[in-house]
Parts: sequence; C-alpha cells; structure tokens
Amino acid sequence: MKKLFLIVIFFGIFTSCEDVIEVELNEAPPRLVVEASINVRSDGSASSNIKLTTTAPFFNNNISFVSDAIVTITDENNMVYTFEYQDEGIYSAFFIPQENIDYTLSITYKDEIYTATEQLYNVVPLEYIEQRNDGGFTGEDIELKAFFTDPLGEGDYYFFEAFSARGDHLDIYDDVFFDGNAIFGLYLAEDLAAGDEVSFRLYGVNEQFYNFMYILLQQGEGGGGPFETQPATVRGNIVNKTNPSNYPLGYFRISEVSTLNYTVQ
Amino acid sequence: MKKIILFLFFIGSISAFSQEKFTLSGTISEVSSGETLFGVNVIIPSLQTGTVTNQYGYYSITLPKGNYEIIYSSIGFATQKIEVALLENVKNDLELTTDTESLDEVVIEADAEKLNIRNAQMSVNTLSSSTIKKIPVVLGEVDVIKAITMLPGVTSAGEGASGFNVRGGAADQNLIMLDEATLYNSSHLFGFFSVFNPDAIKDLTLYKGGIPARYGGRISSVLDIYQKDGNKREYHATGGIGLVASRLLLEGPIKKDTASFLVGGRSSYAHLFLPLFDNDNVAYFYDLNTKLSYNLNDNNRLYLSGYFGRDVFEISDSFSNSFGNTTLNLRWNHLYSDKLFSNLSLIYSDYYFGLALNFVGFDFDSGIQNLNLKYDFTHFLSNNIDLRYGVNSIYYKFNPGDVNPTSEDSGINPFKLTDKYAWENAAYLDADIEVSDKITVQAGLRLSTFNRLGQDELYLYENDNPIFYNQELDIYQKVNPIDTISFDRSETIKSFANLEPRLAISYLLNDDSSIKASYNRMTQYVHLISNTTSPTPFDIYAPSGKYIEPQLADQVAMGYFRNFKNYSLEVETFYKEVKNRLDYVDDADLIANDALEQILLKGEARAYGLEVLLRKNKGKFQGWIAYTLSKSEQRTPGRTPTESGINNGDWYNSAWDKTHDLSITGQYEYSKKWSFGANFIFQTGRPTTYPEAQYEYNGAIIPVYEARNSSRLSPFHRMDLSATWTPKPESTKRWKGEWVFSIYNAYNQKNAASISFRENTDIGQNEAVRLSIFGIIPSITYNFKF
Repeated sequence: MKKLFLIVIFFGIFTSCEDVIEVELNEAPPRLVVEASINVRSDGSASSNIKLTTTAPFFNNNISFVSDAIVTITDENNMVYTFEYQDEGIYSAFFIPQENIDYTLSITYKDEIYTATEQLYNVVPLEYIEQRNDGGFTGEDIELKAFFTDPLGEGDYYFFEAFSARGDHLDIYDDVFFDGNAIFGLYLAEDLAAGDEVSFRLYGVNEQFYNFMYILLQQGEGGGGPFETQPATVRGNIVNKTNPSNYPLGYFRISEVSTLNYTVQ
Repeated sequence: MKKIILFLFFIGSISAFSQEKFTLSGTISEVSSGETLFGVNVIIPSLQTGTVTNQYGYYSITLPKGNYEIIYSSIGFATQKIEVALLENVKNDLELTTDTESLDEVVIEADAEKLNIRNAQMSVNTLSSSTIKKIPVVLGEVDVIKAITMLPGVTSAGEGASGFNVRGGAADQNLIMLDEATLYNSSHLFGFFSVFNPDAIKDLTLYKGGIPARYGGRISSVLDIYQKDGNKREYHATGGIGLVASRLLLEGPIKKDTASFLVGGRSSYAHLFLPLFDNDNVAYFYDLNTKLSYNLNDNNRLYLSGYFGRDVFEISDSFSNSFGNTTLNLRWNHLYSDKLFSNLSLIYSDYYFGLALNFVGFDFDSGIQNLNLKYDFTHFLSNNIDLRYGVNSIYYKFNPGDVNPTSEDSGINPFKLTDKYAWENAAYLDADIEVSDKITVQAGLRLSTFNRLGQDELYLYENDNPIFYNQELDIYQKVNPIDTISFDRSETIKSFANLEPRLAISYLLNDDSSIKASYNRMTQYVHLISNTTSPTPFDIYAPSGKYIEPQLADQVAMGYFRNFKNYSLEVETFYKEVKNRLDYVDDADLIANDALEQILLKGEARAYGLEVLLRKNKGKFQGWIAYTLSKSEQRTPGRTPTESGINNGDWYNSAWDKTHDLSITGQYEYSKKWSFGANFIFQTGRPTTYPEAQYEYNGAIIPVYEARNSSRLSPFHRMDLSATWTPKPESTKRWKGEWVFSIYNAYNQKNAASISFRENTDIGQNEAVRLSIFGIIPSITYNFKF
C-alpha cells in the first residue's frame, strides 16, 4: 500500500522522467534455484511438481534448467517419493501430502545435498467475486474482489494469485487486521473488459513463507528510489547441508489451494 | 541543579562586588522594524575585549570603572561608536541602521556573516534570511533546507528526498528547532520543498560539531531557526507569487515599540501536481507562522509563537492523506539583573500523519506529541567569562498507529498499536572563558536522563531476546512474545542517564586567523524508525526502552579559520563515531508494526571528512565555494560470533555517503535594477545496491542482490541561474516589487535520482531504468513588500 501511494506521488509530479540506460553489473556465480510448490486441491488431488533452475546473469534471459539432480520427498514415516525428471527443469511424482505430517525435500545436485522440511497448510474456500466498474485510483477501472472468510483466531497466512490475459497479480495476507472477518483479494488490471476470464487462487501458507513472499513481491516491483528499502537477496527455507555458503534460492511449500474462475460481466 | 545555580549566583556576586567594576548592558535592534539582532559584536578596543548579543539581542559586559569607547558592529549594519562613562551600571539599548541605507552607491553587505575567529565555537554556519533568498532554487521556491545543503558537510539523499545529512549523520539525527520548538519533519511534498516560510524567518544557525551543552537530544547537528518578532514600528506586508506557491506575511505594532504581531501564510496551488488523472485529485501543502511579542517592561518580554503546516493528498475519494507539524511556544525573557538574562519556554510540538484508504475501508493515524519546559540562563559573569546554564524537561507521547474501519461493511478490524510514553530531562552548564588574549575555551557538561514510562502492553520474550538468528538459513526471524505486562503511566519501565561533555578551544594565531579544536558527546533517546534510503512521512519515532538503547555519538573536529580582505576561509576536519545505531533486518516491514524489537539490531556508524569553505562576504560579488571530502558508513555485526549480522556484519556505505561534494554559489549586484545569481553543484553519486544475478520463481523474475550499497549512481552535477529585476529601485512609494527569473538545472543534466531494474515484457529482457526528477525548469516569481 505504502509503495503504491509513494509511486503515485513520486512519479506524478513535476518533470520527472524515466529512460532506459546501460549499467554495468557485477556477476555472481550461479546458484541452485528450487521452486517446490506442492498444491493440494479441494477434491483431494495434488499437483506435485518441483522445478530446478540456476541463477543467470541479470541481463541474460536464458534460464538454465537443471536436469541431472536427484529429487525426493520423505515423510516422517520414512516413506520416500522419488521425483522423476520431465523437461524444462521440472521433476514430478505421484505424491498427495496429508495434514500434520512432516515432509522432507532432498535434492542432490553436483555432489551437494539440499534439504527442507515442511507441512501441509489448509485454506478456506474462495466464495464469490464482486465486480465494480468504478474502481481503481481513477474510478474508471474494473475492480474484482475475491471474497473469503478468515477463521477466528490469529495466525492465518494467505498467498493469493489472480491471472488473466491482462496481467497477473500476486499478493499475500496476514489476518492480524481482519481476523475472523469476510475479506477479499483485490484484482485490478488495466483494460480489463467484459468477457475476460480471470482465475483466482488462494493458498494456505505459514508465516515464514509469508515473510519470504513479502520480500519477493517488493523486489519484483523494481526499486532503488529514495523511499525504497535496502534490497537484499531473499533466503528461502532450503539449506545446503554439504556447503552452507553455497545456499540455494527459492522455497519448498505444501499448500491447500482454493480456486475460483470468473468471467468479467 | 538548584545548588549549582545558587553557587553561580554566589560567585557572580563576589566578582561583581569585590572590585570597582560596572556593567554595560542592553538590547540591540534594527531601527526600522525594532527586530532584535543576534550576533552583534560589542567591542571595547582599549581593553581588546568584547561580547556578542544573544538570540534575543541582549548583551552584557562587566568592565573596570572608567571611560570607554564602545563599538557596535554587525556586518550589514552601519557601525556605531559611542562614548560611555562607566561610573555606575549603564544600560544602553541601541538601534542599528542597515549599511545600504547610509551609502550612496550600491554596496550590498547586508548578508555578510563575518567569521568569528576568536570565539571557541567552530563547525557552525549562520545564514540570514536575505542570503537564503538569493540562492537560485527549483521553481523559484526559496528553501532553507536546500540552502544549508550548499554548505560544507551537509548533503541530502538526492533531489526529491526529504531531510538532510550532516557530517555523515542520518536525517533523524538533526535537531531542527523553529523558535525552540522541535520539528519532526522538515519537508513538504516528500522533500521537494522545506516547511519554512522564508519571509517569516530571521536567521538560522547550524551546528555541525562542537555543539554547545545547551543543545541535546540529537547526535549529529542542531539547526536553530528563529522567526522574526514582527515589526514594532510600522505595518508591513511581504509576499510573493510563484509558480508553485504564494505567500503573504503581515506584521506590525499592536502597541508601538511595545507589542507586535506577525502572521504569515503560504500555500501551494491545489490540483497542481497530479495532472495524470482528470478527476478529483488534490495535492497541496500550506503553512502558517504566527508570533506575538510583548515588551512588558525593560526587564520582561513575552513571546507567543506558533507554526502549523500540512501536506494534503487526495486521490478521487478512494485515498486521502495529510501530515505535518504543529508547534506552539510561549516564552518569557526576564532580566534578573543586568548580568543575568533568563528565558523560560513552554513548548508544545506535534507531528501528525493520517491516511484514509477508502477503497480498502480503513484509516490510519499516527504521530508524536511532546511538551517541553525549558529554563535557560545566560550569565555574563565578567568581561572574560560568560556562563550559560539551564534545565529542560520533555514529556513525550508516541502514537505508532491507530487503524479504524471507515465503513460498516469494512472487513478491517479496529487495531491500536500501543501508545508509548517517555520523559526526558537535562541540566547543563556551559562556560565561555577568555583564558588569555589568544586562547578562548568553551567548556560544557550536559546531564541527560530518559525514563521510558509505563504503557499498556509491553511484550516479554524468553531470555529477553525478541529476534532469533536461524543459523542454518542465515536469516533473522521474529520471536513470538511469551507474555505481556502492563505498567502504570507513572512507572518507569527503563531509565537511562548520560553525561555529555563538550569542549571547544580556539587559539588566535594573529588578528586574522585562528585554529580551533572541539570534542562533543551527544545522546539521542528517540529514534526514527525508517529503513528506506531517505525518510518518508510514514516513518514513526520510537523511544529508547527495554529493547532499544539510546544512540551515543562522539565527535572530534579541528579547524583553521582566517579572515582576509573581503573573504573568509574555514578548513575543518572531523571524525565521528556513533554507537547503538539501529539497523533493520532485510526488508523488514515497519508499517503498523507493534513489535519493532523483533526486526531491529543495533550497530555502529562512523564518519570522517575534510571541509573547506571559502566565502566572500562583501562587495558587489558575494558567495562561497564549499568542498567536502568525506566518508560515512555503518555496520551491524552479529550479537555472537556465530551470527552473521546485517550485510554479513561488514561495513557498508550509508545511503548519503558522497565522497566529493562541491557547491559553489554566487550573487552579483550588477546595478540597482539587476542582480544575478548562480549555483554549481558536483557530487559523487549516491551509493546503491544493484542486482548481480536473476532467477525465476512463481513466474516472476527475481533479482539476486550484491552486498548492500556497494555500487554508486553516476556523479550528480547541475547549474542553476537566477536574475532579479527591481523595476523601480528608487521609487519612494511604499509598494516595492521585484521579479525573480530562475532556471534550475540550466544545462538539463539528467541526474539519476535512482536506477531501478525491471523486466521489459515486450522483449522479455531485463533493463535498467534511470529516474531523473528535475530536468531544466525555468520559473518566475514576483515578490512584493509594502
């Protein structure tokens, strides 16, 4: 919220101008990047994909996929699920996580072992979508609110996604300000018009993922202005057991997901 | 304290009665307005001694019985010589006339601030309102803060960044006082303009080092700004019409020579700044300065002054925001004797920040309020010893945030962050001693205490440790409190006491030059909670307490000072160390955070540098060249050897560290009709943090950053020009007008305020984007007086 406001003020006044320039950057050696997002749908099925890539120089947009890693998830009863390589860095397995069980991800890559342990976090369902045609700052945009009801008791964290051809929106919520209430995830996109398909997803996550995503979302928006916080590399929940200083990036989470699709009226 | 005062009275009386000595005292003011004058030299040539007037225009000097020639001089004013037969105590109030009025040709000296080489005080800059008004500025809005950033040792984080940084210190380490009332935010529109109406200001003094014991509470600098008292003789109006804002100030006698008023207002034009959208968006600022002065009799004067300023932003009906300072100050000057001047002040000061987000359905209020009682004495003990002593008590209330739903159907619950209370007390003694013809010493001691008072809910943590270092992941994590306790308001949760010694010495090399050295220890008990490059109006202040310790600074400085012909030269070096500087874990969320201790670590800061100021004070051409070579850095090591700290525990450049900083400003009086001004500024680029790699996560491109502030933006440079045209300088009419034409950034340099990185979705490639705030900006302002 603060950022949105500052951007409006800061960019809206005077003769400020933006131009694209050449900047020479330092280059860091590549690190392993893990996107291990296991999602359990309300019908009990799960999407169990783990994506492995490495970091690339900042101005190089070729993603290097990791295809030669050994990827497993082991539950607290020593049941082992082995993830097989598909393509484009994706490993998958038939794996449906259950509540209140510890799952440990283990990746062996270039003779180093990376691990993280997580549990499944539940989520309340997305209930309905409210559409307003006089929304946004200008009062002229279509605004969609995806409502859900937070269960009583603080400590619920949410990860929210909304997709359409007009643009994606990711957000995170902490129920400290709306504990026990009906509340909404907001989707605003320029040029959103009647007939557009928008899909909404709400994931149950824990505080640690909330904090991780909070930083990630801030940094994804760019930065460097006088009202920006000092940027720093975001550390996830995965540890390199063999060589801790060669830490990986990314996150291992297991979430229940609630989905809702909507056609703009 | 009472004992000290009694003791001082006692030794004061002894020295007065034990010899045949008498006291010459009085108040010096300006003839046309009756406005009292600060810093007027009172010189007794036959004894090679003298004194200067204080902030209220009062002076006092005690001399052996005899006949003296006394010289009253202040640059910009006609020097007056009088003969005094000091056979008893003599009171001599005097009025000075400005030089320009007594000279036929145009020789502007009104702004010259001659260097006082004899005084032990160093690291100080004084600017008068008329000097500030001559410096070319953006959009023609005369700006006090922009003017002081032209001085050596003073920088800002950049164009459109609020606050200023003195000798490598943070923006919240400056004590900014308007008529002795503390201001918590010095800028309008996020730093584009400062909150001071230039017409209402008499003068300002900036202390960068060797800070006298009468000041405390902030560790880097003191900016002491005095408002005009108001004309005691005639009614006058001063004003200006500019592109951004207009201002009008009225002043005059309520009772001639006895009581006066001053009321000044300034407002920017609403609807000016957000042309992006065509509906009801509003962005403006305004401020109001008021003052009443009343001379009860020769020994008593009362002043009531106030300031109120607000910034207002509204974006259709979905969003509104307002913030600003309020101060109210009642002062009583009293002369206990011709040697003992006193001032009692009762000051209220308040900073408010409010936000309403109607499209989400809540509003948010926060702020800080304080009540300050000060009793200050200036004791002119003898012709070579002046004492200043006093006490000071400040009560604070901090409101870190109050969230309320704005409609029935809002999904937001009311939420109140716990109010915090504190009580700060200080007592000080400062002695200014002429030890010999060549040596002057200013020695002082300040005792400050701070009591964090009871509050409703204070979090308690296991082992008193609110922040946990996760060694495996190398990150700091919040610790959940195990309990909360509530205290009565009168209880003290935590108290601190600090002795702050201050010392400054000058040694006169010859009539025109001296060397000076100083040391000061400063303590700061309130902290601005901010992890952005420059402070924002959202930032709240937090008091020291159970989890936050007061910041302590030690500074040493040395310098060489010289007057020659119409020039003065100041060369100073300084070294400063700060303990308990707060630092924040990476990307900590500070908004509406009720448990700041969970994201804070304490570190240290240091700064050192060399400053050169060459100033031409007289003649048709006036101005200065200021150059600073400096370094300012900070580090936060881990609390134990296994912890990494912030930025790996390594030193990193502070966001305002600028290795080279050159400012040149000059004004040329071409004729009575035309005068010209120019600035040139060159600075090393601001430190910044660039990405050194990237990756994809959840469909988004995420940068991997290098060590904090290890790169720099490209150097900043800019030239500004101005011309002032007075159509009828000889006019005897009451109405006097002038036009000011100015060009900011004359050669349209695209200086980077920031460089940010984004993904260009059209080409699927990352790119670097430079944001430049001000291109070339011509402007025109009409100023008038009647």
